[in-house]
Amino acid sequence: MYINWKLREINLKIVYYGPSLSGKTTTLQYVHSKTHPDRRGDLVSLKTREDRTLYFDYMQIELGMISGLKPRFNIYTVPGQVYYKQTRKLVLKGADGVVFVADSQQGRLRDNILAVRDMRRDLGDLGFNPEQMPLVLQCNKRDLENIVPVTVLKNRLKMNGVPTFETIAIQGEGVLDGLKTIINRVVNKTEHRL
Amino acid sequence: MSNGLSLPEELMGKIDHILDHLQQKTRTDCIILADVSGQVISTQGHMVDGTPSTVAALAAGDVAAMGELTRQIGEENPHGSFFHEGDQKSIYLHNIAGSFILIVIFRAETPIGLVRLFAKRAVEKLRELTIEFEEVIDKPSPVDSEDFKSGLTRELEQAFSDD
Repeated sequence: MYINWKLREINLKIVYYGPSLSGKTTTLQYVHSKTHPDRRGDLVSLKTREDRTLYFDYMQIELGMISGLKPRFNIYTVPGQVYYKQTRKLVLKGADGVVFVADSQQGRLRDNILAVRDMRRDLGDLGFNPEQMPLVLQCNKRDLENIVPVTVLKNRLKMNGVPTFETIAIQGEGVLDGLKTIINRVVNKTEHRL
Repeated sequence: MSNGLSLPEELMGKIDHILDHLQQKTRTDCIILADVSGQVISTQGHMVDGTPSTVAALAAGDVAAMGELTRQIGEENPHGSFFHEGDQKSIYLHNIAGSFILIVIFRAETPIGLVRLFAKRAVEKLRELTIEFEEVIDKPSPVDSEDFKSGLTRELEQAFSDD
Protein backbone atom coordinates (compact mmCIF):
# COMPACT_ATOMS: atom_id res chain seq x y z
CA MET A 1 0.00 0.00 0.00
CA TYR A 2 1.15 3.49 -0.73
CA ILE A 3 -0.71 6.66 0.24
CA ASN A 4 0.25 10.00 -1.28
CA TRP A 5 -1.29 12.61 1.01
CA LYS A 6 -0.35 15.44 -1.32
CA LEU A 7 -2.35 14.03 -4.22
CA ARG A 8 -4.73 12.22 -1.83
CA GLU A 9 -4.16 8.91 -3.60
CA ILE A 10 -4.18 5.44 -2.09
CA ASN A 11 -2.46 2.72 -4.14
CA LEU A 12 -3.10 -0.93 -3.42
CA LYS A 13 -1.67 -4.03 -5.05
CA ILE A 14 -3.68 -7.18 -5.70
CA VAL A 15 -2.13 -10.34 -7.15
CA TYR A 16 -3.84 -13.28 -8.84
CA TYR A 17 -1.78 -16.35 -7.94
CA GLY A 18 -2.24 -20.01 -8.92
CA PRO A 19 -0.94 -22.96 -10.93
CA SER A 20 -0.39 -22.81 -14.68
CA LEU A 21 -3.45 -22.67 -16.91
CA SER A 22 -5.81 -22.18 -13.98
CA GLY A 23 -7.31 -19.05 -15.58
CA LYS A 24 -5.46 -16.11 -14.01
CA THR A 25 -4.90 -14.23 -17.28
CA THR A 26 -8.43 -15.02 -18.48
CA THR A 27 -9.73 -13.63 -15.20
CA LEU A 28 -7.81 -10.38 -15.60
CA GLN A 29 -8.87 -10.07 -19.24
CA TYR A 30 -12.49 -10.35 -18.14
CA VAL A 31 -11.99 -7.78 -15.36
CA HIS A 32 -10.42 -5.41 -17.89
CA SER A 33 -13.25 -5.89 -20.39
CA LYS A 34 -15.86 -5.19 -17.72
CA THR A 35 -14.23 -2.16 -16.13
CA HIS A 36 -15.55 1.19 -17.32
CA PRO A 37 -13.01 2.64 -19.82
CA ASP A 38 -12.72 5.83 -17.74
CA ARG A 39 -11.71 3.77 -14.73
CA ARG A 40 -9.13 1.40 -16.22
CA GLY A 41 -5.61 1.56 -17.62
CA ASP A 42 -4.22 -0.60 -20.41
CA LEU A 43 -3.91 -4.33 -19.90
CA VAL A 44 -0.23 -5.12 -20.25
CA SER A 45 0.84 -8.73 -20.79
CA LEU A 46 4.40 -9.99 -20.83
CA LYS A 47 4.03 -13.36 -22.50
CA THR A 48 5.93 -16.00 -24.43
CA ARG A 49 5.53 -16.66 -28.13
CA GLU A 50 3.20 -19.48 -27.13
CA ASP A 51 0.93 -16.92 -25.43
CA ARG A 52 1.78 -18.10 -21.93
CA THR A 53 2.47 -15.57 -19.19
CA LEU A 54 6.20 -14.98 -18.96
CA TYR A 55 6.38 -12.35 -16.27
CA PHE A 56 3.02 -10.87 -15.37
CA ASP A 57 -0.17 -9.31 -16.65
CA TYR A 58 -1.00 -5.92 -15.23
CA MET A 59 -3.83 -3.42 -15.19
CA GLN A 60 -4.86 -0.51 -13.02
CA ILE A 61 -8.33 0.40 -11.81
CA GLU A 62 -8.76 3.96 -10.64
CA LEU A 63 -11.89 4.84 -8.71
CA GLY A 64 -13.42 8.26 -8.10
CA MET A 65 -12.71 10.31 -4.99
CA ILE A 66 -13.96 8.65 -1.79
CA SER A 67 -13.81 10.59 1.50
CA GLY A 68 -11.17 12.82 -0.08
CA LEU A 69 -9.01 9.91 -1.24
CA LYS A 70 -8.64 8.49 -4.74
CA PRO A 71 -8.13 4.70 -4.62
CA ARG A 72 -6.04 3.00 -7.28
CA PHE A 73 -5.80 -0.76 -7.54
CA ASN A 74 -2.78 -2.22 -9.30
CA ILE A 75 -3.74 -5.73 -10.33
CA TYR A 76 -1.23 -8.38 -11.39
CA THR A 77 -1.19 -12.04 -12.33
CA VAL A 78 1.84 -14.28 -11.80
CA PRO A 79 3.20 -16.76 -14.36
CA GLY A 80 1.93 -20.19 -13.33
CA GLN A 81 4.48 -22.48 -14.92
CA VAL A 82 6.73 -24.30 -12.44
CA TYR A 83 10.00 -22.92 -13.76
CA TYR A 84 8.90 -19.31 -13.21
CA LYS A 85 8.91 -19.84 -9.45
CA GLN A 86 11.30 -16.97 -8.79
CA THR A 87 9.25 -14.61 -10.94
CA ARG A 88 6.08 -15.39 -9.00
CA LYS A 89 7.82 -14.34 -5.83
CA LEU A 90 8.95 -11.05 -7.38
CA VAL A 91 5.41 -10.20 -8.45
CA LEU A 92 4.10 -10.92 -4.94
CA LYS A 93 6.40 -8.27 -3.49
CA GLY A 94 4.39 -5.46 -1.92
CA ALA A 95 1.05 -7.24 -2.38
CA ASP A 96 -1.85 -6.05 -0.24
CA GLY A 97 -4.11 -8.95 -1.14
CA VAL A 98 -4.08 -12.21 -3.10
CA VAL A 99 -6.70 -14.08 -5.10
CA PHE A 100 -5.71 -17.73 -5.44
CA VAL A 101 -7.08 -19.10 -8.72
CA ALA A 102 -7.44 -22.86 -8.41
CA ASP A 103 -8.11 -25.19 -11.34
CA SER A 104 -11.12 -27.22 -10.19
CA GLN A 105 -10.36 -30.27 -12.36
CA GLN A 106 -9.51 -33.44 -10.43
CA GLY A 107 -6.31 -33.96 -12.38
CA ARG A 108 -5.01 -30.55 -11.24
CA LEU A 109 -5.50 -31.00 -7.49
CA ARG A 110 -1.85 -31.73 -6.83
CA ASP A 111 -0.78 -28.66 -8.86
CA ASN A 112 -3.13 -26.51 -6.78
CA ILE A 113 -1.70 -27.88 -3.54
CA LEU A 114 1.88 -27.27 -4.69
CA ALA A 115 1.02 -23.73 -5.81
CA VAL A 116 -0.59 -22.89 -2.45
CA ARG A 117 2.50 -24.23 -0.69
CA ASP A 118 4.72 -22.06 -2.92
CA MET A 119 2.52 -19.03 -2.28
CA ARG A 120 2.69 -19.40 1.50
CA ARG A 121 6.43 -19.92 1.39
CA ASP A 122 6.93 -16.92 -0.93
CA LEU A 123 4.84 -14.69 1.33
CA GLY A 124 6.84 -15.81 4.35
CA ASP A 125 10.12 -15.17 2.52
CA LEU A 126 8.92 -11.66 1.66
CA GLY A 127 8.22 -10.89 5.31
CA PHE A 128 4.46 -11.34 5.28
CA ASN A 129 2.52 -13.49 7.69
CA PRO A 130 0.62 -15.70 5.18
CA GLU A 131 -2.23 -16.09 7.67
CA GLN A 132 -2.77 -12.34 7.85
CA MET A 133 -2.63 -11.61 4.11
CA PRO A 134 -6.13 -10.81 2.77
CA LEU A 135 -7.00 -13.81 0.61
CA VAL A 136 -9.81 -14.97 -1.65
CA LEU A 137 -10.12 -18.41 -3.25
CA GLN A 138 -11.41 -18.55 -6.82
CA CYS A 139 -12.37 -22.12 -7.79
CA ASN A 140 -12.26 -21.82 -11.55
CA LYS A 141 -13.51 -23.93 -14.45
CA ARG A 142 -16.68 -24.99 -12.63
CA ASP A 143 -18.33 -25.67 -16.01
CA LEU A 144 -16.06 -28.64 -16.74
CA GLU A 145 -16.66 -32.29 -15.91
CA ASN A 146 -14.64 -34.21 -13.31
CA ILE A 147 -14.24 -31.29 -10.96
CA VAL A 148 -13.39 -31.47 -7.28
CA PRO A 149 -16.20 -30.41 -4.89
CA VAL A 150 -15.50 -26.95 -3.44
CA THR A 151 -15.51 -28.25 0.15
CA VAL A 152 -12.86 -30.84 -0.74
CA LEU A 153 -10.78 -28.25 -2.60
CA LYS A 154 -10.89 -25.82 0.32
CA ASN A 155 -9.96 -28.57 2.73
CA ARG A 156 -7.03 -29.85 0.67
CA LEU A 157 -5.75 -26.30 0.11
CA LYS A 158 -6.17 -25.54 3.83
CA MET A 159 -8.39 -22.61 2.95
CA ASN A 160 -11.37 -23.24 5.20
CA GLY A 161 -12.60 -19.84 6.29
CA VAL A 162 -11.30 -18.11 3.16
CA PRO A 163 -14.04 -16.38 1.07
CA THR A 164 -14.56 -18.65 -1.92
CA PHE A 165 -16.07 -18.08 -5.35
CA GLU A 166 -16.98 -20.68 -7.94
CA THR A 167 -16.02 -19.15 -11.27
CA ILE A 168 -16.05 -19.73 -14.99
CA ALA A 169 -13.50 -17.11 -15.94
CA ILE A 170 -13.95 -17.56 -19.67
CA GLN A 171 -17.59 -16.44 -19.24
CA GLY A 172 -16.81 -14.10 -16.37
CA GLU A 173 -19.08 -15.89 -13.92
CA GLY A 174 -18.14 -15.07 -10.34
CA VAL A 175 -15.00 -13.15 -11.33
CA LEU A 176 -16.11 -9.64 -10.34
CA ASP A 177 -17.59 -10.89 -7.06
CA GLY A 178 -14.20 -12.33 -6.17
CA LEU A 179 -12.42 -9.10 -7.09
CA LYS A 180 -14.83 -6.91 -5.12
CA THR A 181 -14.38 -9.18 -2.12
CA ILE A 182 -10.58 -9.02 -2.14
CA ILE A 183 -10.74 -5.23 -2.58
CA ASN A 184 -13.01 -4.94 0.45
CA ARG A 185 -10.80 -7.26 2.50
CA VAL A 186 -7.71 -5.25 1.58
CA VAL A 187 -9.43 -2.00 2.54
CA ASN A 188 -10.64 -3.51 5.84
CA LYS A 189 -7.11 -4.64 6.62
CA THR A 190 -5.65 -1.23 5.88
CA GLU A 191 -8.41 0.93 7.36
CA HIS A 192 -6.39 1.72 10.48
CA ARG A 193 -4.04 3.63 8.20
CA LEU A 194 -6.84 5.69 6.71
CA MET B 1 7.82 -2.13 1.92
CA SER B 2 5.54 -4.95 2.96
CA ASN B 3 4.14 -2.74 5.74
CA GLY B 4 3.02 -0.09 3.28
CA LEU B 5 3.90 3.54 2.99
CA SER B 6 2.10 6.77 3.63
CA LEU B 7 3.81 10.01 2.67
CA PRO B 8 2.66 13.39 4.00
CA GLU B 9 2.59 16.53 1.85
CA GLU B 10 5.77 18.00 3.29
CA LEU B 11 7.83 14.96 2.37
CA MET B 12 6.19 14.76 -1.04
CA GLY B 13 7.18 18.40 -1.58
CA LYS B 14 10.84 17.51 -0.96
CA ILE B 15 10.62 14.58 -3.37
CA ASP B 16 8.96 16.70 -6.05
CA HIS B 17 11.62 19.37 -5.63
CA ILE B 18 14.41 16.82 -6.23
CA LEU B 19 12.67 15.38 -9.28
CA ASP B 20 11.88 18.84 -10.66
CA HIS B 21 15.52 19.88 -10.29
CA LEU B 22 16.63 16.71 -12.08
CA GLN B 23 14.21 17.35 -14.92
CA GLN B 24 15.39 20.93 -15.35
CA LYS B 25 19.05 19.93 -15.40
CA THR B 26 18.60 17.08 -17.86
CA ARG B 27 15.62 18.42 -19.86
CA THR B 28 14.11 14.98 -19.84
CA ASP B 29 10.53 14.20 -20.83
CA CYS B 30 9.35 12.42 -17.75
CA ILE B 31 10.74 11.37 -14.39
CA ILE B 32 8.96 8.86 -12.18
CA LEU B 33 9.72 7.76 -8.64
CA ALA B 34 8.15 4.38 -7.81
CA ASP B 35 8.49 1.88 -5.03
CA VAL B 36 9.91 -1.58 -5.73
CA SER B 37 6.46 -3.12 -5.91
CA GLY B 38 5.66 -0.85 -8.87
CA GLN B 39 3.49 1.82 -7.23
CA VAL B 40 4.00 5.37 -8.51
CA ILE B 41 5.10 7.79 -5.77
CA SER B 42 5.66 10.92 -7.85
CA THR B 43 5.84 12.00 -11.48
CA GLN B 44 7.42 15.07 -13.06
CA GLY B 45 6.85 15.95 -16.70
CA HIS B 46 4.54 13.96 -18.90
CA MET B 47 4.51 10.95 -21.17
CA VAL B 48 3.35 11.20 -24.77
CA ASP B 49 2.75 7.46 -25.02
CA GLY B 50 1.90 5.12 -22.17
CA THR B 51 1.14 5.94 -18.56
CA PRO B 52 3.41 6.34 -15.51
CA SER B 53 1.62 3.54 -13.64
CA THR B 54 2.29 1.01 -16.40
CA VAL B 55 5.89 2.18 -16.78
CA ALA B 56 6.39 1.87 -13.00
CA ALA B 57 4.94 -1.66 -12.93
CA LEU B 58 7.20 -2.76 -15.79
CA ALA B 59 10.25 -1.00 -14.31
CA ALA B 60 9.66 -2.75 -10.99
CA GLY B 61 9.64 -6.08 -12.81
CA ASP B 62 12.80 -5.12 -14.67
CA VAL B 63 14.64 -4.01 -11.52
CA ALA B 64 13.54 -7.11 -9.62
CA ALA B 65 14.69 -9.38 -12.45
CA MET B 66 18.01 -7.54 -12.71
CA GLY B 67 18.47 -7.86 -8.96
CA GLU B 68 17.99 -11.61 -9.14
CA LEU B 69 20.26 -11.87 -12.18
CA THR B 70 23.07 -10.08 -10.38
CA ARG B 71 22.57 -12.26 -7.30
CA GLN B 72 22.90 -15.30 -9.55
CA ILE B 73 26.38 -14.16 -10.54
CA GLY B 74 27.36 -13.58 -6.92
CA GLU B 75 26.82 -9.84 -6.60
CA GLU B 76 26.00 -9.06 -2.98
CA ASN B 77 24.39 -5.63 -3.35
CA PRO B 78 22.39 -5.52 -6.57
CA HIS B 79 21.39 -1.87 -6.22
CA GLY B 80 22.69 -0.31 -9.40
CA SER B 81 21.40 1.43 -12.46
CA PHE B 82 20.79 0.35 -16.02
CA PHE B 83 19.31 1.87 -19.13
CA HIS B 84 17.79 1.08 -22.48
CA GLU B 85 19.03 3.15 -25.39
CA GLY B 86 16.35 3.56 -28.06
CA ASP B 87 16.27 5.24 -31.47
CA GLN B 88 13.91 7.99 -30.30
CA LYS B 89 13.57 7.62 -26.54
CA SER B 90 15.73 6.05 -23.88
CA ILE B 91 14.99 4.99 -20.35
CA TYR B 92 17.26 5.04 -17.31
CA LEU B 93 16.44 3.07 -14.15
CA HIS B 94 18.14 3.42 -10.79
CA ASN B 95 17.42 1.16 -7.83
CA ILE B 96 17.50 3.30 -4.66
CA ALA B 97 18.46 1.36 -1.54
CA GLY B 98 16.46 -1.66 -2.68
CA SER B 99 13.23 0.20 -1.87
CA PHE B 100 12.58 2.74 -4.63
CA ILE B 101 13.17 3.14 -8.35
CA LEU B 102 14.03 6.33 -10.18
CA ILE B 103 12.85 6.19 -13.79
CA VAL B 104 14.06 8.79 -16.28
CA ILE B 105 12.62 8.87 -19.81
CA PHE B 106 14.59 11.03 -22.21
CA ARG B 107 15.10 11.74 -25.89
CA ALA B 108 17.92 10.21 -27.92
CA GLU B 109 19.65 13.60 -28.31
CA THR B 110 20.09 13.94 -24.52
CA PRO B 111 23.52 12.59 -23.56
CA ILE B 112 23.27 9.55 -21.27
CA GLY B 113 26.27 10.86 -19.33
CA LEU B 114 24.31 13.97 -18.38
CA VAL B 115 21.34 11.91 -17.24
CA ARG B 116 23.56 9.54 -15.31
CA LEU B 117 25.44 12.37 -13.56
CA PHE B 118 22.39 14.31 -12.36
CA ALA B 119 20.37 11.18 -11.66
CA LYS B 120 23.08 9.93 -9.31
CA ARG B 121 23.00 13.24 -7.43
CA ALA B 122 19.22 13.02 -7.17
CA VAL B 123 19.49 9.43 -5.97
CA GLU B 124 21.82 10.50 -3.16
CA LYS B 125 19.30 13.08 -1.99
CA LEU B 126 16.42 10.63 -2.31
CA ARG B 127 18.42 8.03 -0.39
CA GLU B 128 18.71 10.47 2.51
CA LEU B 129 14.95 10.95 2.41
CA THR B 130 14.31 7.20 2.69
CA ILE B 131 15.01 7.53 6.42
CA GLU B 132 12.15 10.03 6.61
CA PHE B 133 10.02 7.65 4.51
CA GLU B 134 10.33 5.00 7.18
CA GLU B 135 9.42 7.44 9.97
CA VAL B 136 6.09 8.39 8.42
CA ILE B 137 4.76 4.88 7.92
CA ASP B 138 1.44 4.41 9.71
CA LYS B 139 0.86 8.12 10.13
CA PRO B 140 -2.81 8.46 11.13
CA SER B 141 -5.18 10.70 9.19
CA PRO B 142 -8.68 12.07 9.67
CA VAL B 143 -10.41 9.92 7.00
CA ASP B 144 -13.65 8.33 8.23
CA SER B 145 -13.21 4.63 7.47
CA GLU B 146 -16.96 3.86 7.48
CA ASP B 147 -17.62 6.60 4.91
CA PHE B 148 -14.69 5.30 2.91
CA LYS B 149 -16.01 1.74 2.86
CA SER B 150 -19.51 2.73 1.78
CA GLY B 151 -18.04 5.04 -0.87
CA LEU B 152 -15.85 2.20 -2.08
CA THR B 153 -18.84 -0.09 -2.61
CA ARG B 154 -20.58 2.62 -4.62
CA GLU B 155 -17.50 3.35 -6.74
CA LEU B 156 -16.90 -0.35 -7.46
CA GLU B 157 -20.48 -0.75 -8.67
CA GLN B 158 -19.97 2.20 -11.03
CA ALA B 159 -16.60 0.94 -12.26
CA PHE B 160 -18.08 -2.41 -13.27
CA SER B 161 -21.46 -1.18 -14.54
CA ASP B 162 -22.29 -1.68 -18.20
CA ASP B 163 -23.46 1.93 -18.64
